[in-house]
Amino acid sequence: MAEEIKRGHLHPISSLIREANTIFLQMGFTFAEGPLVEDEVHNFDMLNVPKDHPARDMQDTFFMKGEQGAVLRTHTSPVQVRYMEAQIKKGVKPPYRVIVPGKVFRNEATDMTHEAEFFQIEGLAVGEDVSLAQLKGTLEHFFKALFKDASVEIRFRPSFFPFTEPSVEVDMRLVGEGAPEKLRGRWIEMMGAGMVHPSVLQNAGVDPKQYQGFAFGMGLDRLALLRWGIDDVRHMHSADLRFINQF
Amino acid sequence: MKVSKLWLDKFFDAPLPGAQTLADTLTFHAFEIDGVEKVGEDDVLDVKVTPNRGHDCLSHRGIAKELSAVLKLPLTNDPLASRSDLLPKTTEVTVDIQRTVLCKRYIAGYIKGVTVGPSPEWLKTRLEAVGQRSINNVVDATNFVMFNLGTPLHAFDAHKLWGSPTSPESGEVGLPQPLGVRLAKDSEVMEALDKKKYTLKDSMLVITAGDKAVGIAGVKGGMPAAIDESTKNIVIESANFDGVSVRKTAQALKLRTDASTRFEQVLSPELAAYGMQSVVELIQKLAGGELKGYADAYPEPQQPMYANVTVEKINNVLGTHLTGAEVSDAFTRLGLAYKEESGVFEVQAPFERLDIMIPEDLIEEVARIVGYDKIPATPLPAFSGEVEVNKNFYAAEKAREELAGQGYSEVFTSVFADKGERMVLNKADSVRPYLRDSLVLGLTEALAKNKPNKDLLGLTEVKLFEIGTVWKGGKERVMLGTVSEKQKAFEKILEPVDAAAYEDLPLSTAVRFEHFSKYPYIVRDIAMWAAGDADAEKIIRAQAGPLAIKVSLFDRFEKEGRVSLAYRIIFQSFEKTLTEAEANAAMEKVSAALKAQGYEIR
Repeated sequence: MAEEIKRGHLHPISSLIREANTIFLQMGFTFAEGPLVEDEVHNFDMLNVPKDHPARDMQDTFFMKGEQGAVLRTHTSPVQVRYMEAQIKKGVKPPYRVIVPGKVFRNEATDMTHEAEFFQIEGLAVGEDVSLAQLKGTLEHFFKALFKDASVEIRFRPSFFPFTEPSVEVDMRLVGEGAPEKLRGRWIEMMGAGMVHPSVLQNAGVDPKQYQGFAFGMGLDRLALLRWGIDDVRHMHSADLRFINQF
Repeated sequence: MKVSKLWLDKFFDAPLPGAQTLADTLTFHAFEIDGVEKVGEDDVLDVKVTPNRGHDCLSHRGIAKELSAVLKLPLTNDPLASRSDLLPKTTEVTVDIQRTVLCKRYIAGYIKGVTVGPSPEWLKTRLEAVGQRSINNVVDATNFVMFNLGTPLHAFDAHKLWGSPTSPESGEVGLPQPLGVRLAKDSEVMEALDKKKYTLKDSMLVITAGDKAVGIAGVKGGMPAAIDESTKNIVIESANFDGVSVRKTAQALKLRTDASTRFEQVLSPELAAYGMQSVVELIQKLAGGELKGYADAYPEPQQPMYANVTVEKINNVLGTHLTGAEVSDAFTRLGLAYKEESGVFEVQAPFERLDIMIPEDLIEEVARIVGYDKIPATPLPAFSGEVEVNKNFYAAEKAREELAGQGYSEVFTSVFADKGERMVLNKADSVRPYLRDSLVLGLTEALAKNKPNKDLLGLTEVKLFEIGTVWKGGKERVMLGTVSEKQKAFEKILEPVDAAAYEDLPLSTAVRFEHFSKYPYIVRDIAMWAAGDADAEKIIRAQAGPLAIKVSLFDRFEKEGRVSLAYRIIFQSFEKTLTEAEANAAMEKVSAALKAQGYEIR
């Protein structure tokens, strides 16, 4: 038989990022990125997480050896600040809309649902009247586009993040025949989100009296797990084609 | 924090709704609930109090206040509603705070003639419900008030504080010396109530009597002045210690206590007075004694805190159409005093609500009381700015498509490595602490790992690529690496690519992930001359049984009017490693069935 080259497979996370970028692009979001070895100033201080504050306990941090103030970023949120800083430096004022998919790190023991390195997608929209209602609308649109065959419901619950005020947890529920059976009708915690804290805008050089915005941060590995019914997050970094070639 | 339903009931005129209703109420208006547990007659909620509300909600009163606001039930028995002055004052006890930056307030209350003994049943039940062990009536009273109001308290045995062994009348209380609050001396050792000796540092705050350390401020009391059955006179501490200082001390000593977790959230110094009055009242009820009075060192009283917000701003941030009346209602229910003038609300936060500082804090209060379900889902308007194409992402996507087209599959390997230029300090599992300086090693390992599964995967050659970050030459950069069975691992910098727009690229069409077995598989090939019309593959599948997870035609040719077929069969179990004998037995059945249908096995 003639030897034909079978198309290789993309990692499911890459496919998800590609899909998310397409959906958010249509809503005017630009893809942005930032360094993985981050300084504490961007990872914490400018995000309103003061040193020696209990809020820092919320994330287990990898510190770099022999590099004072350097950490492996614990979330994609520092890119919010970096992006806004860069725009202001260029003289570009809001509105801003960015998404930031990328790798983040937490210093924890790994198991079926926890990995020390994983992927997040951050979203940021800043403008004169960007609202919490628009956050709900944006996320609803995203999940509807992602889970095309099901109807999607979104709900907010109160929460706390130092870099947003108000802060919410976002739950999603898939209903209808098109929803994967295991997920159908069940509320699932998807991400943390909220309105960007005025101090964060201020720190990045954006006037909080004139502008406001929403931000969200979602685990992509978790989203992939839910989307495809993957049972163990450790598959993501296994480099095992028995896993990857299913996508 | 563990919260008892029966305990909460005491703040209201009538019992609250059931525990599940309370859990739902808190979930959608205040805090996540980690669980609801039945403890005897009681229901105990595990409430995940967020770090911004540690000031007031690590207490039953705080949670009761939240429920009162959300459920619109008046908090009829609110211990923070009113307070009388701390009277009488006494000169028998004095307080000397050396570091007022780290201790904003220190109240000492002096009670003589208590009878230490077991606590009454109601108190034991309450404390046990929230996971505490009953010790004695005096200590239990201090704990009860801490879990009730959120402010830690401590009781010292006055005799042990002041009765020095060199005192002429042994057994009598010596001359009261001031209770001091000072930094520890370097290497000063104190035995704490857990009977462990702690070596202190000069950054840690201690409570002293006559310069002897009797407690680690805000963390734990000391054995030198511990309450026991023989205690007669007690000095109660209700103080306010600096959050950062307590946090650092507790971390350094690996001694996190209910007191330290509260102080590190930062408490209002006003709360200390309520805690003191409340505990004195309770101790006198449980253990008798005569209140001699209070000494209150409070050099800089807390100032009132105000925040302003307009109805317009609230609606602009939330995307709602709330009225002034709805906003007033939310503030009233939360007990936030306000003045309203032409749409501007000036709110004076209750002293314990240290979290209310800026307009956005008030907006959050309104949002959660009104309910986040009242916030509509509104689409973002069209974007008026410029949407850029990210050059690095474009380059990565382009590389992905090219390589996938050439049969390469994408892997992500760990950024952690056994060697590299830079390393992390504190890896939890302590293996592979370096950040990789190349993709080569990870890709080479991945190739070796996948090669044995080639047949299972139906591949003629394993080909992998990775787009990933490396740290080399003092730089963090993204590399594109490839490896295949024919070509050694190779990497190059992924150079950015300019483009006007992203291309429309294919997405995964996978519907559901299928589990795969972790056990080895066995491959068998079978070739035959076809004679009849019977479907060979169907026969093979039927005869080989469920362990044949893959049957594929890998060769077919015609010669002299005859057709040759060759199938590859892969056997694998989800439960065990298959033996050669099991595969052979299945193959014999396959051969026999094919022969019976007229196939000639080659």
